[in-house]
Amino acid sequence: MTLTAGIDVGTSAIKTVICETDGTNTRWLVKRIDRVRQRDPFKLAREAYEAALAEAGLRHGDLDYVATTGEGESLEFHTGHFYSMTTHGRGAIYLDPEARGALDVGALHGRAIRIDSRGKVLGYKMTSQCASGSGQFLENISRYLGIAQDEIGVLSKQGDSPEKVSGICAVLAETDVINMVSRGISAANILRGIHLSMADRLAKLLKTIGSVDGVVLMTGGLAHDEGLLAAMQEAMQQEKVRWPVRNHPDSIYAGAFGAALWGAFRHEKLAREEALAEAA
Amino acid sequence: MSTTSTTTAEIVARCQALFDDLHFTYAREWKAAVPGRIVVGYMPFYVPRELIHAAGGLPLGVLGGGDQLEVIQGDAYYQSYICRIPRSTIELGLTNRLDFVDVMLFPSICDVIRNLSGMWKIMFPKVKSRYFDVPQNYCDDVGGEFYIHELNELRDLLAEASGRPVSDDALRASIALYNENRALVREVYAFRARQPWQAPSAEVYLLMRAGLIVAVEEHNRMLREYLTAAAAEQRPRRDNSRVVVTGAFCEQPPLNLIKSIELAGCYIVDDDFMLVNRWERSDIPLEGDPITNLAAAYLHNSNHTSAKYEPDPEKKGLYLVEAVKRSRAEGVIFASPSFCDPALLERPMLQRVLAAHDIPFIAFKYAENSGQMQPIREQAGTFADSIKLWSNP
Repeated sequence: MTLTAGIDVGTSAIKTVICETDGTNTRWLVKRIDRVRQRDPFKLAREAYEAALAEAGLRHGDLDYVATTGEGESLEFHTGHFYSMTTHGRGAIYLDPEARGALDVGALHGRAIRIDSRGKVLGYKMTSQCASGSGQFLENISRYLGIAQDEIGVLSKQGDSPEKVSGICAVLAETDVINMVSRGISAANILRGIHLSMADRLAKLLKTIGSVDGVVLMTGGLAHDEGLLAAMQEAMQQEKVRWPVRNHPDSIYAGAFGAALWGAFRHEKLAREEALAEAA
Repeated sequence: MSTTSTTTAEIVARCQALFDDLHFTYAREWKAAVPGRIVVGYMPFYVPRELIHAAGGLPLGVLGGGDQLEVIQGDAYYQSYICRIPRSTIELGLTNRLDFVDVMLFPSICDVIRNLSGMWKIMFPKVKSRYFDVPQNYCDDVGGEFYIHELNELRDLLAEASGRPVSDDALRASIALYNENRALVREVYAFRARQPWQAPSAEVYLLMRAGLIVAVEEHNRMLREYLTAAAAEQRPRRDNSRVVVTGAFCEQPPLNLIKSIELAGCYIVDDDFMLVNRWERSDIPLEGDPITNLAAAYLHNSNHTSAKYEPDPEKKGLYLVEAVKRSRAEGVIFASPSFCDPALLERPMLQRVLAAHDIPFIAFKYAENSGQMQPIREQAGTFADSIKLWSNP
């Protein structure tokens, strides 16, 4: 069995996991999320890693591979780093074997990733404009509206007369929201409008990566936002895209899971290469 | 000037200071220290630095202004589809940063640099400027004879500038010093290829770049010290992919680009930055006529680059395959300056050769003042991932 850690350093949260795997069967020893909340993300990542080790009853050196993803390439204790599309693709396949696409919606970016049955990335596209349509934007708006983050999805689904906001510019989108508030639009309809705008943009992004022969799994921090998921399903219908979009209870860990699983894969591969070199 | 640096951090800090100094204080002080000394500026990719040294001169690599120089006047001389190095070099000249340079050499790399040699003559008439041609034919009795003639003309020019003839004995002594320099440079490259985690590419880059600024005697000391210090230090080993970076033999990438490639999960195990440091692949003989030896080394024992003519189509690009094998690289990154004709026109042919040998590659462009590294990190990072996960052992 191979012991690996996956650390996904995101803009708003650090996801840390530790697993034991033989390549087929995987047992997750630790899963934890630490919100950044204006702290130094790298210091926090180290603390989260230490805490995860303690929780698993492990010490430094017990792990075969420490894999980072997201912004984690600067962490000095990592063995290897994998890019977000690589890890979210692998995480998506692990969480939902029918997944052939991953839609990673995080605090700053949205990424549409097309994968094969092994989790190999076949193509990807990323939102290239500003923070409008990102988790950070949604978090800001909910704070302005005085709404807790876990209420966003529930409230959004209650919206019956939503108005869309700018999907291009966060400044314009915020202005749209301010106008809506002054016009007395309900918080539910404002949130649903934002979700529909985000979904519209993400559905178009998904279309650009080519045909997905299976499910699209939402990953990243916004994957659990039921309001966004509902808006995504609606937007996919409007865009006449038939790929089912769904999430998984562990969607937020997809990047960290993928990093840990690829770390285990690399550990085995390096061991094989070393054995081959020795034999030669 | 001597250095007593013992740790890699100290050596690198010294190299970084030299790299950052766009007023070339070292060269100015070197020249001022002894009356009669001359400074000879040269552009990429190659000049016979031994001749300059033998003439009592300091060869000074002029590689543009990098990402710290704001180009204001230089832009007025070029259309928008021309690379950045001639613009920033003109800016260096017009802002008097090169006013201590006695001779300026423009090697035969491309039309832009050739034309710059003419412009320099008009703009800076007090400087002895020369377009330095290199052979395109590798037969001793054709290209060799031509090149011997070129070298002798350069020898005369340098003698005129320094006011003293360049003797054969002085040239042999200089060749010996540069042989030592190239051997040490090769040793640093071999060390990095063996243990890339012990010699980060940004450090090696700065060390090599210092070789274009300081006197060869001092650079030799620096190289020796670095080899000792880098071997003594224990640094964490990462699970990175091993790559060769090619296409950056003229306008240099920003230092941050090199750091970004490594940060993205790639160990650079070979490159073509500042090829002049290791242009000759082994020692130039000291016996016999030194000019003939320099010419023969260029014809038969020099490195390859897109800017050097390859007469045999069958051999086109094989140097890159050899570099991959020699350094045990797993892929190639084509990093070339925007609008660099020698690099970009050759690239498809080189890529075809790599594809035929099943060597993965990616390509991107930069300018010496590129500031946005995120796309390069993503590209290099996903390339590293694909090598690590999907290449055959």
